Amino acid sequence: MIQKIQSLWPEIVLFATACVVMVVGISPSVAVRRSCGVIAGLGLALAGLVAIDWPGPASSVVWPALAPYVKVLVAGVGVLLLLVLAGLPDREYEAAVAHGQRYDPIRANRAEFYAFFLFSIMGVMLVSGAEDLIWLFLALELTSLPTYIMVAISSSRNRSLEAGVKYFFLGALGAALFLYGFALLYGATGSTNLETIRQVIAQQRLGSEAVNGVALAGALLAVIGVGFKIAAVPMHFYTADVYQGAASPVTAFLAFVPKTAGFVALILLLTTIGWGYGPSGQSLPEPIRTVLWVIAAMTMTVGNVLAVVQSSVKRVLAYSSIAHSGYMLVGLVAGPGPAGAPFARNGIAAILFYLLCYGVMNLGAFAVMASLERRSRSGATEEADSIDDLRGLCTTRPMLGWIMVVSAVGLLGMPPLLGFFGKLPLFTSGIGAGEIPLVVVLGINSAIAAYYYLRLAALALLEDPDVTPVGGGLSENAPPGRKFAGFICAAAVIGLSALAWPLINLADGAAKYEPRLTPGSAVSAREAPIVPSADALTEPRAASGRP
Amino acid sequence: MSAILAQADYPALMSAPTLFHYLVVSAFMFGLGLVGFLTRRNLIIMFLCTELMFQAAGLALVAFSRFHLNHTGETFVIFVLTVAAAEAAMALALVVLLFRRKETLDAERWEEMRG
Amino acid sequence: MSDVTTGILTALGGVGTLAASGGDAAAHAPASGGALPAASPLVLLIPLLPLLGCVLCGLCAAAGVRTKLPAWLTVACLGAAFVAALKMLGDATGGPGTHATIAHAFDWFRIEWGKGPGGVSRELVANFSFYVDTLTCLWMLFVTGLATLIGLYASEYMAGERGPGYCRFFAAFNLFVLSMSCLVMGDNLLLLYLGWEGVGLCSYLLIGYFYQKPSAVAAAKKAFIMNRIGDLGLALGIMLTFVKFGTVEYAELFERIRPFVELARHGRFDEIPFSVQLIPLLFTVGAFGKSAQLPLYVWLPDAMEGPTPVSALIHAATMVTAGVYLVARFIPFYVCSDLALPVVAWVGTLTALTAATIGMAQFDIKRIMAYSTVSQLGYMFAGLGVLTSTGAAFHVFTHAFFKALLFLSCGAVMHGFGGQLDLRKLSGVRKMPGWGIVGVCMLVGCLNLSGFPLLTSGFFSKDMILAQAFTTPGFAAIGWILLLTAGLTAYYTFRVYFRVFEGPSQFEPGDEAHAHADPGDQAHAHAPAGHAHGGHEHGHGQGHGDGHFHPHAPGWAINTVLAVLAVCSTAAIGAYFIDRDHHGWVGRMVDSSTAAWEAPGAGHSGAHAEPPAETGHGAAPGTFLGMDPHAVMYYVSAVVALVGIGAAWWLHLAGRTAAATSRADGLLAAAGPVARGAQGKWFVDEVYDALVVTPLWVLAHVFHLLDKLLIDGLVNLAGWVPRGAGRTASTGQNGLLHSYALGMAGGLAIVLVVALFMVKN
Repeated sequence: MIQKIQSLWPEIVLFATACVVMVVGISPSVAVRRSCGVIAGLGLALAGLVAIDWPGPASSVVWPALAPYVKVLVAGVGVLLLLVLAGLPDREYEAAVAHGQRYDPIRANRAEFYAFFLFSIMGVMLVSGAEDLIWLFLALELTSLPTYIMVAISSSRNRSLEAGVKYFFLGALGAALFLYGFALLYGATGSTNLETIRQVIAQQRLGSEAVNGVALAGALLAVIGVGFKIAAVPMHFYTADVYQGAASPVTAFLAFVPKTAGFVALILLLTTIGWGYGPSGQSLPEPIRTVLWVIAAMTMTVGNVLAVVQSSVKRVLAYSSIAHSGYMLVGLVAGPGPAGAPFARNGIAAILFYLLCYGVMNLGAFAVMASLERRSRSGATEEADSIDDLRGLCTTRPMLGWIMVVSAVGLLGMPPLLGFFGKLPLFTSGIGAGEIPLVVVLGINSAIAAYYYLRLAALALLEDPDVTPVGGGLSENAPPGRKFAGFICAAAVIGLSALAWPLINLADGAAKYEPRLTPGSAVSAREAPIVPSADALTEPRAASGRP
Repeated sequence: MSAILAQADYPALMSAPTLFHYLVVSAFMFGLGLVGFLTRRNLIIMFLCTELMFQAAGLALVAFSRFHLNHTGETFVIFVLTVAAAEAAMALALVVLLFRRKETLDAERWEEMRG
Repeated sequence: MSDVTTGILTALGGVGTLAASGGDAAAHAPASGGALPAASPLVLLIPLLPLLGCVLCGLCAAAGVRTKLPAWLTVACLGAAFVAALKMLGDATGGPGTHATIAHAFDWFRIEWGKGPGGVSRELVANFSFYVDTLTCLWMLFVTGLATLIGLYASEYMAGERGPGYCRFFAAFNLFVLSMSCLVMGDNLLLLYLGWEGVGLCSYLLIGYFYQKPSAVAAAKKAFIMNRIGDLGLALGIMLTFVKFGTVEYAELFERIRPFVELARHGRFDEIPFSVQLIPLLFTVGAFGKSAQLPLYVWLPDAMEGPTPVSALIHAATMVTAGVYLVARFIPFYVCSDLALPVVAWVGTLTALTAATIGMAQFDIKRIMAYSTVSQLGYMFAGLGVLTSTGAAFHVFTHAFFKALLFLSCGAVMHGFGGQLDLRKLSGVRKMPGWGIVGVCMLVGCLNLSGFPLLTSGFFSKDMILAQAFTTPGFAAIGWILLLTAGLTAYYTFRVYFRVFEGPSQFEPGDEAHAHADPGDQAHAHAPAGHAHGGHEHGHGQGHGDGHFHPHAPGWAINTVLAVLAVCSTAAIGAYFIDRDHHGWVGRMVDSSTAAWEAPGAGHSGAHAEPPAETGHGAAPGTFLGMDPHAVMYYVSAVVALVGIGAAWWLHLAGRTAAATSRADGLLAAAGPVARGAQGKWFVDEVYDALVVTPLWVLAHVFHLLDKLLIDGLVNLAGWVPRGAGRTASTGQNGLLHSYALGMAGGLAIVLVVALFMVKN
């Protein structure tokens, strides 16, 4: 118990910070209110450091080093996200207050905003440490629920509300799906403990080669439901509308935080039903593997072809975010390989590394979008979103332009940059697992992605700036933190590629895979569960299981 | 009471509810919720449909818990109820916000972004 | 979990850990670099300091520094690197016995690519580790030393460029030293290749430094492309090495080549696989590209478009000797092929002769020096080819100093006379006020290059190669050609000296005179105006109406550097006399490295790496007209050099009254087509144009046509497919919440049906 709490220090730090932020954020003094973001950033950094220094005992038996990596990753990228988010909440309201309006804490939502931000990140950390279905469910919901509100209140435009309502309702549908899946998994194995579930299913598969139908249905529902978080086909429909409607900083958040939670949850879930037994690295049960294969291929393709025809930068990035989820799903299909497999064969390590690469590159692109505003004909400022807003950005605003170019080319996976090093392991793990057709699909999709990423880069770099803009033209009066975060991201896209190897080793260490099948140990701690077979479904367990 | 049920003899099919019956009801509830979600246009009703789906899962959990003779499933249900309550609070707040903007609860009125 | 912690910290620490990890080197080295002992972590400073300098210069550029700060930072960093190199040399030669050591910086590549017999995993291991033996030390010593001096020189030479260009120049300068140290010190072929490409890149950047000048851009491009051809050979060689030996790390490679060397020693070349014999030939292609040998030498003279310090450092002293280093380092590979060394020797010899003949007929003094560099590099290759890697290395060493000296002196003239490089328009510079030091230094450099007997180090190093050529059976023809070349070298060298520095004082400023006549130029103030006018009046109105031009004599930085280099060039003689038992100091350095795989032979300047012929060491070495080459070569080459100098004196100095004319003009007419050919550089560029460039141009247009007709259609189709699919798919994204929910539910239903179907089957 104490050990478990020790491994939760980062979450505890975040929770305490969130409580402080909620109080500080409604202070009548502007200066005190303003310190909210700083406090949140410090808390996040502290949580990251704590995760490095006191990782605590391994929470997952199969993935002993997974949780610390994920915690450090989200804390690190979270700090950058916070830089981009800073100044977003209450922007208009604070302006009104500065002009003499009386400050009313009820109408302000700065405190909630930062607290929700921290709660959501805490949710990802909890997902990574989950060892129980209940825990996993709660952590996933903790990740998602705050984001619904963040989207809805991110700006005062109707679009944000529309995005919020779509995100919330479809999200609830997804949550219901994976909750039902969890229920079925519990029903099939008699336990909510992930390790016990893994042992039970492994025994079944070793015994009869057939997977219990209830468990299979449960796993499928759970995988598809969690697929909502990573925007995988067929749960991807919300993505573009929500990403476009939310303010750019929140969109950057959506593209990284729930996605990370989703992938970590998928890794943990699929461990219970698939790779989790035997050193020889048996692959997933055939139906699940096929479904994942199709989902991966469809997700990449749908994301990419839809991105090609967009004229809104945020929609391009939204659809490309779907495509990137598809790429990472290749790693899931490939699986971790046999125990002790080298990095090039370990699809999970590839995913973990790609999450880092994607988080950094994507944030750079969104930081640029968040830094730009367009003055419309009516005189109101609105977010720059049209793809034409990027025209000649390298000439007019060299810093933002180059950040965009570097991010886009990085996301494309051009060789010397970070994206290439991220994608490479996905390819090699897919090939190592024998999934050649899927790797071919991945290759074709990378080529399609070149269309729109190069379009973004070329618009910014090669085109002449628009001299007679429709409407008022671009302005740039966002908080400087966004540009700074964008610069860091662009520098990381270039610089981290030199450090790619140590980082890859890090991801490889995090994906250290120790499947152990201990007949009896985990299972016999309780009574050997009797699994409901098709016949047993009609009878209470006591009738058949006990003499 | 539970001990009596558990120790009961093999029941005749229609005489006492078995796990199977509970699961059928649960699946039916889930399907009802899903269909309702797809067909109704009022945001509040749609939200209630998702609640129905959550509770369908809850019912399945309780039934399985009973079947396995442990309390894990019941514990799970308590947490599900809590999350559902949190979602309800959020949903209602969101609905109020939306209603203020457009004076309607019709989900189809929110379709500005597409493509 | 602690491995995660340390891993994260290492990643965060970045460069900082590079230096700190030196302490781990002892732990890492045995695992990564064979069984060699670890070197002092101080070695890591040698590449790290130029990196630091490069970063600092970049920061200066970012901060908009407009002073000479980048130059001082560069000199400080490189000077410190030189001190570290000295320390490295002390460590390498100080201990009992000299053997290679490895300094491990960090892991770079470790890719498992398969399982060998017995389940041993086969890996491609290439780390950022540095292989320190005496050959490394020798090279790094003059690379860092010269870089420091030339950095100091450039601080003044480039002063007119202060600002972003100045920072850019010194950043590239540092980057070059970093790349060169990777090339020379790398403990594996991959790191060598990284450095190889790095120096190529820096060379490209620095040749094209004046990027507004079309000729500079063209020259940079030419150098880059010519080098690519060579690099392809090197890359293929590295790949073949890896395929053949399964490793790219020197320590293991030199172990694994040993059996083949044994075979070669007994003349059983037919038992050595062809692919092993191919490796040195491929390396040779790379070396010929980088070191400007036939047929790839044409880029080097054009590379003189770069600033003179660059010409001195990169295109004379250091980078172009990378090819020599490559061959010297892999001498064990070369002796395994009965073809490689003769190829190296003959190509080197012919290059030496060709370049010398071209050099005789040019008028641009920097270009003459460039051709002389090509020619001297030919000497070095010839030396390697006849298996006197000591002679070659010694010549590299001495040449580095005196050629840098010559270039820098020419650069001072160019700098002072507004970019004037034509030897017909300059005369008697030594006697002009403020130019004395330059004149004396130039004389020292010329004496060295022409191999003036006894007083110069160039004499001794050239001698070693000549003597060995005559000693080695079957290579006497090479010896004769080289001897002829030595005479030509002495002639064209002193042609420059007598034309530019002696004779009546006259000059005609170059095109950049206006640019240099800015009043704020400090160096300008050093030249007393009256004397300069005097010089001008001697010019009989040749000044193109630019009556206000004053040549400005070099300042303290240039003079100091020139003087130091002049002293160094002369002092290098000492290296020949120290440690005579080991064929001089350089000989000892070379003998205790891989460049001399086998134990040195017993005789005076004998073949320390025995000729791989079955005749062995004892069998009849070649003679020079029946005499022992080692004994008589001193006198012969001394006579040849003096004859060359004398010819230059007679033709270009004696009785010359004007800058533009000399007795040689009459000779030129008499020589007719030969002279015109030499003046036209034997029309090699034109031949390349006709044979390579034009056909490629035609082919490119044919392909372009095909491209337009065929490929574009395919591409348009490929572009249309995703677009069409996107348009179709986007109809599903109609913005309605219910449609989305329906899509999700429908997808779920399909998945469940498919899964059910699969389970039932």
